Amino acid sequence: MPDQPPRASTVEFEHVTKRYDVGAKDTPGAVNDLSLTVPAGKICVLVGPSGCGKTTSLKMVNRLIEPTSGRILIDGQDAAQRDVIELRRSIGYVIQQVGLFPHQTIAENVATVTRLLGWSKDRQRQRADELLGLVGLDPKQYRNRYPSQLSGGERQRVGVARALAADPPIMLMDEPFGAVDPIVRERLQNEFLRLQEELAKTILFVTHDIDEAIKMGDLVAVMQTGGILAQFAPPEEILAAPASDFVARFVGADRGLKRLSLTRVGNLDLMEIPTARPGDDASAVRRTALAHPWGYLLLIDDAGAPIGWIRDADIPEEGSFSEDMAVPMSPLLNRRATLKDALSLLLDADVQAGIVVDRGGRALGVVTVEMIAEVMRQGDHVVPEEPQGPEEDGAGPVDLGETQAERPPVEAETR
Amino acid sequence: MNWDWIRSNVPAIVDATIDHLILTLIAVGVGFLISFAFALVIYRDRRAFGPLAGFAGIVYTIPSLALLAFLVPFTGLSVLTAEIALVGYTLLILTRSIVGGFDAGPPDISEAANGMGYAWRGRLLRVDLPLAMPLIIAGLRVATVTTVGLVMVTAVIGEGGLGQLMLRGFNFRNTTAVYVGAIMTVALAIVLDMAILALGRLATPWTRQR
Repeated sequence: MPDQPPRASTVEFEHVTKRYDVGAKDTPGAVNDLSLTVPAGKICVLVGPSGCGKTTSLKMVNRLIEPTSGRILIDGQDAAQRDVIELRRSIGYVIQQVGLFPHQTIAENVATVTRLLGWSKDRQRQRADELLGLVGLDPKQYRNRYPSQLSGGERQRVGVARALAADPPIMLMDEPFGAVDPIVRERLQNEFLRLQEELAKTILFVTHDIDEAIKMGDLVAVMQTGGILAQFAPPEEILAAPASDFVARFVGADRGLKRLSLTRVGNLDLMEIPTARPGDDASAVRRTALAHPWGYLLLIDDAGAPIGWIRDADIPEEGSFSEDMAVPMSPLLNRRATLKDALSLLLDADVQAGIVVDRGGRALGVVTVEMIAEVMRQGDHVVPEEPQGPEEDGAGPVDLGETQAERPPVEAETR
Repeated sequence: MNWDWIRSNVPAIVDATIDHLILTLIAVGVGFLISFAFALVIYRDRRAFGPLAGFAGIVYTIPSLALLAFLVPFTGLSVLTAEIALVGYTLLILTRSIVGGFDAGPPDISEAANGMGYAWRGRLLRVDLPLAMPLIIAGLRVATVTTVGLVMVTAVIGEGGLGQLMLRGFNFRNTTAVYVGAIMTVALAIVLDMAILALGRLATPWTRQR
């Protein structure tokens, strides 16, 4: 990757307020004394109803909107002190309507910031190709097209690639997946999360969709009308312990179910199961398999990929295993799949267990419907214990340090 | 139609057509430069729109014969007099179309451009100007066709290209000269219009790919 500046920066809102004249038309939402810190490399989602000031807050980071009072610190440095053009070039920016330049090819669009920064033509082109590949668009096929020749989903990808061009330590994303249909959105979200694992940028992400917020955020800032921060916490905590009635209502009644989309099967204590490979001596394995309560043996191939189940009763007393003994019936779950996805797959397949595999397809263990139900039950326990104390974050500014400290730690397995 | 007259006057007809073309191109060219300057001022400061568009509008309302008559005492029976009038009439159309072109870009594109750190000059050259091209081209076409017609009128002060040909035709009851002048003028207007259209296509390759 080119350039040395930090891969990710800390972004800190310090009592940031933006007021608009009463009666002024078409003004974005005001922001009232917003203080929060986004640690480097994390995704912070600003979520709330329209007019809650989430987009205003975002645009104050790259100074498309200047705060009325308060400061925004980037790695401790006041953004207002920096040259605004230089500041913006160091921050990736993705908007809902994408805003691709219709008169430029995809490659030219992606190279926008690198061109502004004066990179050589060769380096611009190379970087654009690299980024197109990164967001899953074949450079050969796409680089010379115009935006009007792309689908909505493809345009959104180009928007993300363009924002990443100069490898900025911060990305601002304003409903970046808002303009595409739910299926494409889901795919873009997943791809983006996978990308973020490698990139580890500091990302401020605006959405009005609480499900998206919970899915995308390491931290979620729930804002309410008037630009007031209602709660700032990891998504698990927002779901388990909403700080106020507003947050609880905004999150919705199906909090228990929503929590399932927060945990990935790879984070569960997967059940280890006895395994064997074709050709293994059956008698040697038989004893361990029978000692295990699961009742099945998993046959795996040399690479560790699951072939299928063999019932304990069907394990031969001697001889060796062969592939035709195994019955494939469990769905394979990527270890990055959420519990929600896992549950729906298991219900669809009408089986009790799914085999969790890693990226290379090797079996890691088994997840059962029972284990998923257990996670939901744990969540239920947390909620009633929580004293509902909306007073502490009523009118005044929300002191995050305190509110956070008062909450019990929720759920060990977070992302 | 007197074909013999045409045959023996080909050089004169060609000369008149070339004069007409040159008068038109100078008028549109200079008019475009001035209008572009106006549009730039307006681009940088919206408040300039009223006065500048107002000025161009007033010029536009002055009848052409009156304007020529007014200018002759100062600049004489000259190309300069003709061009001042012709340029004057292009300003309103061109200024409005260029400003309209700058405003035509969708708001999300301006926002993306600003958010990525374009300074105003870069944004003008790389984003707003290219996106304004379709409207600018449209304005240029209207201004050019209008000017081809107006050049005729400058025949009264001894210019006028094909207008001269027609004026003499009227004076000497030579209907062939009148027809030739009229047909050549229309042909010139169509050719110039098509040429600008083609140039516009070349300048906006993204509008053709779907």
